[in-house]
Amino acid sequence: MGEARVHISGFRMDFGDTTVVRDLSFDVQAGETFGFLGSNGSGKTTTIRALLGIYEPTAGILHINGRDFKPEHGDRLGYLPEERGLYKKEKVIDIMTYFGRLKGMERRTAKRWSLEYLDRVALADRATAVLDKLSSGQQQKVQLGVTIMNNPELLILDEPTKGFDPVNRRLLMDIIAEQKQGGATVVMVTHQMEEVERLCDRVILLKDGTAEAYGTIDEVQNKYGGRIIRIRHTGPLPRSPHYEVMLEETNYSELSITDATDEAVILKDLIDAGVTVRSFTTTKISLEDIFIRVYGDQNKPSTSGSAGAAGSGGPAASRPRQGV
Amino acid sequence: MAQHNLGTVVSFEFIRTVTKGRFWIGTLSVPIIIAVVFGLIFLSNSTTDTAAAAQKSAQFSISYTDASGLITAQDAALFGATAADSPDAGIQAVQSGAVDAYFDYPAHPETTAVLVHGADKGIFENGKYAAVAQATLTHAVEQRIGSPQLSALAAGKAQIETVTYDGAKESGGLGSVIPPLFFLVIFYGLIVLLAGQMLNSTLEEKENRVTEMILTTLKPTTLIAGKVIALFAIGLVQMLVFLSPIVIGRLFFPKELSLTALDLPPLILDPVRMTIGLLILVGGFALFTTTLVAIGAVMPTAKEAGNFMGVMMALIFVPFYAVALVVSDPQSVIVQIFTFFPFSAPVTALLRNGFGSLSVLEAGIVIVILFVGAAVMLRLAVRLFQYGSISYTSKVNIRTALRAGPRHPAAVKPPTTGR
Ligand SMILES: Nc1ncnc2c1ncn2[C@@H]1O[C@H](COP(=O)(O)OP(=O)(O)O)[C@@H](O)[C@H]1O
Ligand SMILES: [Mg+2]
Repeated sequence: MGEARVHISGFRMDFGDTTVVRDLSFDVQAGETFGFLGSNGSGKTTTIRALLGIYEPTAGILHINGRDFKPEHGDRLGYLPEERGLYKKEKVIDIMTYFGRLKGMERRTAKRWSLEYLDRVALADRATAVLDKLSSGQQQKVQLGVTIMNNPELLILDEPTKGFDPVNRRLLMDIIAEQKQGGATVVMVTHQMEEVERLCDRVILLKDGTAEAYGTIDEVQNKYGGRIIRIRHTGPLPRSPHYEVMLEETNYSELSITDATDEAVILKDLIDAGVTVRSFTTTKISLEDIFIRVYGDQNKPSTSGSAGAAGSGGPAASRPRQGV
Repeated sequence: MAQHNLGTVVSFEFIRTVTKGRFWIGTLSVPIIIAVVFGLIFLSNSTTDTAAAAQKSAQFSISYTDASGLITAQDAALFGATAADSPDAGIQAVQSGAVDAYFDYPAHPETTAVLVHGADKGIFENGKYAAVAQATLTHAVEQRIGSPQLSALAAGKAQIETVTYDGAKESGGLGSVIPPLFFLVIFYGLIVLLAGQMLNSTLEEKENRVTEMILTTLKPTTLIAGKVIALFAIGLVQMLVFLSPIVIGRLFFPKELSLTALDLPPLILDPVRMTIGLLILVGGFALFTTTLVAIGAVMPTAKEAGNFMGVMMALIFVPFYAVALVVSDPQSVIVQIFTFFPFSAPVTALLRNGFGSLSVLEAGIVIVILFVGAAVMLRLAVRLFQYGSISYTSKVNIRTALRAGPRHPAAVKPPTTGR
């Protein structure tokens, strides 16, 4: 692909005595949509802040368009921070126009663009309302509008779906897809793995402050064996070097194949071991499965971290939620 | 681009402040109070002025006794007063309601008070008794002198004008002190009015989590400088509003508002001192604002920032404890220290500039100190804001913020890996 829009190498970040990110390196190519994944507290927001010059990195190179990011360079950046917030006591249209102006738009263009955007997201009648009179979901929409003003060439979205209901999440995804279509490079932090699978060209998984996996979605899936077996059965499953048991309930289990062994071989092994198999399906491993495999041990006793929800879907929904 | 953003920030900050109801409630309350005070002065002036005339139409009845023998029956009659038999009889007549007032003129009214006894008619009306008692005596004395000119002069109504010389040049006296001191008044006004706002000016970005959006959209220097300029403009608007009743009063009611305090001698504008005053004002304002903004950038909430207000306020009032010294002995060590210590410099130097004891050289040094100080504080404020404001909840570690060198030290010596 072309030039690197974002280039990070050897990035390290210490807060006091704690090292939050260590030796992190990755590139985001111009025009691609990049998933920046990792459990809570793994250092995603910290990396983005250091990239944007909000934090001073302890070490490493963090470049946008080949140099340190500075607002005055005029790179067209659209940044949706994890900590949302705009001027609460001002009118929606004034806030949007102000940011449009700061991003280099003419006052009239900024105002017209804002009104069109508000109309699109069903907030046309709130243009002259003071921001804190809007619901938090509506405020999110305003902030998203500010983020995509003036056609950003690089969009950095830190948990964009946070605070959106399913309908508005759809709208958000449409808008991201549009930006991508228009040529924008998108870096997205999200816990919605299905959306990552749908939208992202490449991903990085951050664990303990460094890259656990990095590449196209196929590459990452292959790294983790690439295949999942879901079986309905009776009788305990035997252990095997060919797979890892990801989930084991009385009558339902999920196995992740860890080498190139054919599924048929595994099925035969199971039957030989006396397991009654009532159904047996192989699917490609989902990012969600990988996520849980990578971070699943995080909330086991003696480790801390807050639990959250990770996407949704199928039988997976029944398993205990792991830290995300 | 940066220039254009500065203008955008200034106008956004200015407009959003002056379009708030709260701002105008605070701002307008001051001139309204001034107008009410002036109104009261006007009312009580007019009661006393017209009291004598009103008495001629005999609105209230008076009796009097005169131990001095200055007041003739004729003088008294002019004011509708009739002699009482004795002080006791006079007081009794008031108490019984037979007359409204009784004046007891003593043998030596020049040293002893004239006693006025009157039926209570409310605060404003009661003032008339004394006015009539005074007018009666004045009239009687004028009759004795027999010459309006002599009595006017004896009453101290002669007008005197002073011209002083500094070498062959006319020096202005009070008229030349007032204009440059005006900058001191503006300085105090701006600081007292705006200190809170200065301290809190970056607090909104912090409390509302706007910092990240802002820091990635424009240079923090532009934001802070824009806020400082907007505050200055806001302060000037407030000063204008505060002064408006005085200006309106003097333009439209010059007679009614015959307040001697406002009868200024002819003002002399010395261009050098005025320029110095203006520069010290701007430099001092910039220094105080940037300092307060820097403090505000470190404090997570308004409450904690407020604790620092006291210290800053003390600093601008300290030179006043030594005001006599500042005026009389500008070369003394303490005044020199006050003049050149950045935070007491604006007040001290503006005072000395007003009284003409600040040499151009000293003024130049003070101005340089103030502007350099302001530039340093601006840098500090920007740095604290930039690396501190993301610590939304905890206090910024100042040492950490300051230690942070140029961004990405590693970028200076990039490893030789090609892409
Ligand atoms: N300003 C800071 N000071 C100290 N620790 C911080 C600061 N910012 C983040 N951290 C710590 O760094 C770790 C990573 O945080 P963060 O980058 O926000 O994670 P993520 O965005 O991946 O959820 C967390 O343990 C967090 O407590
Ligand atoms: Mg985060």
